[in-house]
Amino acid sequence: MKISYNWLKEYLDIDLSPEDLAEQITNAGLEVEEIITTVQAVNNVVVGKILSCEKHPDADKLSVCQVSDGKDTYQVICGAPNVAAGQSIPFAMVGAKLPVGLKIKKAKIRGVESMGMICSREELALEEHSEGIWALEDAPEAGTDFNEVLRKKSDVIFDLFITANRADCFSHIGIAREIAAFVGKEVRLPQFSLIEKSSRGIEQALSVKIEYKEGCPRYAARVIENVTVGPSPDWLVERLEAVGLRSINNIVDITNYVLYELGQPLHAFDYDTIEGAEIVVKGSKSGDTFVTLDDKERKLPENTVMICDAQKPVAIGGIMGGQNSEVSADTKTVLLESAYFDPRHIITSSRQLGLMTDASQRFEKGTDYAGVLFALDRAAALIAELGKGQVLQGFIDIYPEPIKETRVKLDLSRVNKILGSGLSDKEITELLSRVHLHYIKGEVTVPSYRHDIKQDIDLIEEVARLKNYDNLPTSVIEPLSLEQPIRNRELSYQAMRDALTRTGLQEVFTNSMISARQIIRFEEKEAVRILNPISDDLAYMRQSLFSGLLPVVSYNLNRHQKMIPVFEIGRIFNKSDGELPEQPTRVALALCGLRAPFNWAQKEEPVDFFDLKGILEDFFNEIHLDKVEFILYSDSSFYRKHHAAEIRINGKIAGTCGEINKETRKRFGINQPVFGAELDFELIEKNMKRELKYQTIPRFPYIEKDVAFVVDKTMAAEEVMGMIRKYGGRLLSDLHIFDIYEGEKIAAGKKSIAFRLRFQSLERTLKDSEVEHVFRKIIKKAESIHGIPIRDQ
Amino acid sequence: MERIDQIKKEFFEHASQVSMPEQLENLRVRFLGRKGKVTEAFSMIKDIAPEIRPRFGSGLNQLKKELEAHYEELKKRLEDSAENDDMLDVTLPGRKTFPGRRHPLLKIADEIKDIFHSFGFTIEDGPEIETDHYNFEALNIPKSHPARAMQDTLYITEDVVLRTHTSPVQIRVMEERKPPIRMIAPGRVYRRDTPDATHSPFFHQVEGLVVGESVTFADLKGVIQAFAHRMFGKDARVRFRPSFFPFTEPSAEYDVWFNGRWMEISGAGMVHPNVFRAVGIDPEKYSGYAFGMGIDRVAMLKYDIRDIRLFFDNDMRFLRQF
Repeated sequence: MKISYNWLKEYLDIDLSPEDLAEQITNAGLEVEEIITTVQAVNNVVVGKILSCEKHPDADKLSVCQVSDGKDTYQVICGAPNVAAGQSIPFAMVGAKLPVGLKIKKAKIRGVESMGMICSREELALEEHSEGIWALEDAPEAGTDFNEVLRKKSDVIFDLFITANRADCFSHIGIAREIAAFVGKEVRLPQFSLIEKSSRGIEQALSVKIEYKEGCPRYAARVIENVTVGPSPDWLVERLEAVGLRSINNIVDITNYVLYELGQPLHAFDYDTIEGAEIVVKGSKSGDTFVTLDDKERKLPENTVMICDAQKPVAIGGIMGGQNSEVSADTKTVLLESAYFDPRHIITSSRQLGLMTDASQRFEKGTDYAGVLFALDRAAALIAELGKGQVLQGFIDIYPEPIKETRVKLDLSRVNKILGSGLSDKEITELLSRVHLHYIKGEVTVPSYRHDIKQDIDLIEEVARLKNYDNLPTSVIEPLSLEQPIRNRELSYQAMRDALTRTGLQEVFTNSMISARQIIRFEEKEAVRILNPISDDLAYMRQSLFSGLLPVVSYNLNRHQKMIPVFEIGRIFNKSDGELPEQPTRVALALCGLRAPFNWAQKEEPVDFFDLKGILEDFFNEIHLDKVEFILYSDSSFYRKHHAAEIRINGKIAGTCGEINKETRKRFGINQPVFGAELDFELIEKNMKRELKYQTIPRFPYIEKDVAFVVDKTMAAEEVMGMIRKYGGRLLSDLHIFDIYEGEKIAAGKKSIAFRLRFQSLERTLKDSEVEHVFRKIIKKAESIHGIPIRDQ
Repeated sequence: MERIDQIKKEFFEHASQVSMPEQLENLRVRFLGRKGKVTEAFSMIKDIAPEIRPRFGSGLNQLKKELEAHYEELKKRLEDSAENDDMLDVTLPGRKTFPGRRHPLLKIADEIKDIFHSFGFTIEDGPEIETDHYNFEALNIPKSHPARAMQDTLYITEDVVLRTHTSPVQIRVMEERKPPIRMIAPGRVYRRDTPDATHSPFFHQVEGLVVGESVTFADLKGVIQAFAHRMFGKDARVRFRPSFFPFTEPSAEYDVWFNGRWMEISGAGMVHPNVFRAVGIDPEKYSGYAFGMGIDRVAMLKYDIRDIRLFFDNDMRFLRQF
């Protein structure tokens, strides 16, 4: 909300710089978003007096003026139509520089010398566009520095962010009250006298009934007759412009003025459109419609507070008036409404209607229910004055169940208990009284405009706020407490990230909201969809981290990155029958491009499946996870057929890895092979070994033997290794594959796998003969039981 | 005897040509090897007249010693030159290792976690898709509160939302455990904001909560001050301003003076009695404070990053800088 410094000064004597005032406002808990200065200083501009004004000999539209600066007289050419002798005007002398960037020089215009310029408001940056020069009213004497005139016009606007709880601060009086509390001054309410000039009494003109007091606890009205609707005076237009409002006509402007002055929304009806001289406040029925003054037909939600006459609704109470009863240029008699509407009703209706107005925003937060009549009289007096109307005798105030003053119990010792402060009772009550919270015998009476104070904690906050947070004590933090161990989940998370970064993967962090096209899933589960997405691109929740990783690969390829090894740990989301969707955590990685950074000593080689698998094996190793198996994964909906594996940990499926199929990667704009894996974080976490125990390091020498078996091309190496381990028994301590051969030297459809077997014992030195015996056994059993021959030398 | 002189002469002729290890080896084989000339000469001894045999024999032995010595010297000379004469171009770039790095945002989250862990806080976690109850209702944010409007919150159903803050974790922990509680909960949150340089529809917060029998606003100020010193250095000053959050009272915004200006970090306050009541904690007996901070914001401050989107583009050239 915009607050004008000049306007504020009407209610409070303050002489703070805008910056100091902003600081006070900030300390009060109101955020200053912007400080705008409306007038810029000028130099070499003085008040000038036009002594004479004659037509330019060679130009119809120009005048030749003699202007006095109080000492000397200057000849000035002026093009404005409204220039005339006798006027006092802003006179920019030679050498002046105007806020709009204009430099004044001695000039010759159509052969006549001109020694300065007579300025318009536009040239002084006071308005966007001016029709003519600025003829000053009540001008000081010629020669006065023009900044003195400007100072009266200049203003500072504070753009404030007011938190939802401080409805009372949505007005100049409200802000003045806050500042007053901090600078120790008193607020002056606006002074006015309301003279009821009309001979008629209001009861002859109007009756009011509230049939829906839940929605409208209080309704007050006055009638002003013989009103002249017309433009507002300059001061009113300036005030409204300062807070960002446009002037409409004097009547509407007055209601807006009082709204920004006191915070009480008012509504003015054209009395002659009110049928039956009657106002009835009702709740709407479902299906009702109404045309508001912005010419829109609106479907009314049930129980909307409606202001009606004898026949029809004329306004949506507290939100917007009706087109049928709007004040127009022809309005003669004004019915002025000042009411208190129930905040919850206004919120609900305003939301359902999708209609937020200056009035609804205030009513929905709670207005000053005791200030209804003051605002009514203030506006009526202004209408009488500026609209030259006559106020009818008396007023109407229907208030079936007057709202009781709020009283809050306060145990003064609790203030220090919560704040950790040592404030005396006297100081606490003194601080509270600054915002008119008067403490008497364990109880505080709350002003009618403070809807935010309901319990003792609200009062404690007031004390803290008024004392200033920075003046309250600050504890020294206690030393490290050893009682709080880090949870396993966090430890595992950190261990996994350590392990993955060590394998050369870069951690990434991607959006969990994705488009329909990005959906990737490994289970037959439905995606979680957002009801009100920001855009179609962010309408679903990811079901796999690949939905974010593949765009990262694509993004970096498009930026000519040659090596893209990445991982992410994060949640995925699946629709479920429970109250909330499933939200398990996944670990995913993706590899694309080169295996190693470009270097003169190495060949550029692209990554392949075994880079991926190697990283996974290293990862499992690093986090001390054994019993991991890789099994051919035949589902080809995401991975390339026969280029993927299912990963099992302790026999349980923990995820998959492989080369991502062409169709999928093309969907993400990737034109080269990408390898990836996605794993179940929770399952890994459960199987991670936390307690590490020392394993004996072998002291005795080992014996190594090499052998190559010829097997079917489709046979898994793991199967052959299993067989060797089985027959190798306890003496076989290590087994490695050192060569794979397919080609002309062996039969078609076959491959040769060469193994290096290491035999070693923890207890003794092995004898050649016993190793030879086991080695022979492996070869024999392979041939006789499995039909696997060794490769001919 | 001429034979000995001849072998010797031949040997030295060849030896003078040796400059490579292979040539040296050839020389050895040719003269000193099993079928070499010296060995051959030895086998001739039996055919030599007995009277000159001893002289021939000792001459041959001497020759062998002499040639072997020369051979060893040549060998050493060659090895030395291999060690010393080969000049490396040390200006060529080395073979790179390529460890990965943590994401800059998560690095900051790790730092924040470390700091609070050292203050004795536990690290908690909660779901990102939350019920209306945990995200709003239990936090004293009534149905009519503006934050619950469709334009600010992303809804899954009428009662399920993408959590708009990490505060629901407070409620879950307080429901599960009795005080004293001292926890933080880092995580991802969502708002219905259109992405630009300073807004992202998802961002990251750390929630903090402390509940005990005599926890005060002064303690809250103390913990934030201590955190600021650890995170931003000893010169970091903290400023508290009154603010409003439905789930804390008194509420504060706190700013940290960093790099010559006040930077807003986030909100804090004393846990509202209504929040305690909703989880069955007696507000007369216990008090507590809660705070939140934007991880993205802290990271942007620390690294001087002006566009939040950089974190989520995941450009390798960006990520590799941290």
